[in-house]
Amino acid sequence: MNCDECKNLISVFMDNELEETQAAGVRMHLAKCADCALVCEDLSSILDVCSTQSASELVPPNSQALWCRINNIIESEVKTVLPVADQPRGRFWHFSFAQVTAAVLCVAVVSSLLTVVAIRNYMQPEAVDFTTRSAATQTTFEKVLSRIGLTETPQQSRDRRLREQRSAIEYWNTRVQTRRVQWDRATRDAFDRNLQAIEESVNDYTMILQRDPEDELSGEMLDSVLNDQMNLLRDFSEL
Amino acid sequence: MICDAKNRFGLTAAAKTTMLLSVVFFFALLAGEASAQKKFSRTFPTGQNVRLQLMNRTGTVTVEGWNRPEISITALLESPAANIVPQSLSGTIVINLVRDNQGRDEVGTVNFLIRVPYYSMVDIETRIGNLSVSNVSSGLVRAHISSEGDITLMNIGSSAVSAENVLGDIFFDGVIQEGGNYRFASMRGNINLRIPFNSSFKLVATAPSTRNISVGACSGANFSLLGDGRRVVGRCGDGSATMTVTNQRGSIGFLRR
Repeated sequence: MNCDECKNLISVFMDNELEETQAAGVRMHLAKCADCALVCEDLSSILDVCSTQSASELVPPNSQALWCRINNIIESEVKTVLPVADQPRGRFWHFSFAQVTAAVLCVAVVSSLLTVVAIRNYMQPEAVDFTTRSAATQTTFEKVLSRIGLTETPQQSRDRRLREQRSAIEYWNTRVQTRRVQWDRATRDAFDRNLQAIEESVNDYTMILQRDPEDELSGEMLDSVLNDQMNLLRDFSEL
Repeated sequence: MICDAKNRFGLTAAAKTTMLLSVVFFFALLAGEASAQKKFSRTFPTGQNVRLQLMNRTGTVTVEGWNRPEISITALLESPAANIVPQSLSGTIVINLVRDNQGRDEVGTVNFLIRVPYYSMVDIETRIGNLSVSNVSSGLVRAHISSEGDITLMNIGSSAVSAENVLGDIFFDGVIQEGGNYRFASMRGNINLRIPFNSSFKLVATAPSTRNISVGACSGANFSLLGDGRRVVGRCGDGSATMTVTNQRGSIGFLRR
């Protein structure tokens, strides 16, 4: 029998309620172990006191004051333990230098991209930008932005500009068609001659740009003649 | 025999009647033609800052500068005569035949002759027809033809000049003012600019189809060709003014004044 087993059984042993074999084991251990024998003596003396004195003599003189002191001690211990409980939260904000750097870079990149997108949305480029810009005149930053899809390439800008112009031309052409039945013959002939001359130029520049999309001058001229076509249609739609 | 004589007499009378009626009809026709053309005249006294703003439908417009503080408007109106309602709005004389004749199916040609003080700003426009401006030295001369017609600007000293048409020639004869802005554009026609030898301006001249750009009249010029000769860019003198010339299917020429 070891000390733990003995201490577990010692209370029952003192009450003479153990089986004989277990009681013999306890006795043998108490004979060998001074510590357990001391515990046995302490317990024996307590039992003696309990058996000789009444319960009222065992109650402390001011039990309420005693409980207050105990309560105060417990509360003071709890207060000292509280900061220990916050430790896991503090550890949550402890980042490594690499993590902080990466986070700062992410914030910088995201805010830059948002700024670029906002500027792009709120400051529409002028007409000349659509026509004179090309891949050769793009800055590196613009190339990067257009490559990741945040801004348009010069070709995309030009295509969008052409679509807008063609839709405007279609609108004015519809109005002209409703008005031209009321024109005299000379006006109709003059209009057709001029429109044909403009359309010839439009076709020429369109073909040149199909062969060489990077031809800035033809892009600019196409934009110009489409404007002329739109102006012609708009002016004659008022007649 | 008698019958034959009557026939002969009858034929002669019929011939005489026919001749007489023809003459009457001819004169009646002439009188009708004369009455089909109407004339409109009006004069506006002007102040120091005056501007003429004219929008014509069809016809020629001739504007001449003169040494009088008034604007004189004369218009010859072909039948069916257009409505002309000139307005004087805080120093600007406005004539808008497009607006004044909106909704009318047919409107006859109107040919204007307008005289303005030398210092008047001139802004004229027509849908079809020639435009001519001469002897004006103000801040602005603008001549715009929506379709076809020639533009002639003679003896111009304005600091901002703009001339645009689709089919037709453009001729400018004048002085390039320091810091001025000059723009000439045509789809098909010839653009000729007659300017003093010592003019000073930055030039962008583009003739993509013909590549026919002659800048021989400029002194101290430093020009370069771009786009395989389709565009000439450079500076004449110290280049204080700006000149942009575009001719899609025609030539561009500079003449010495």
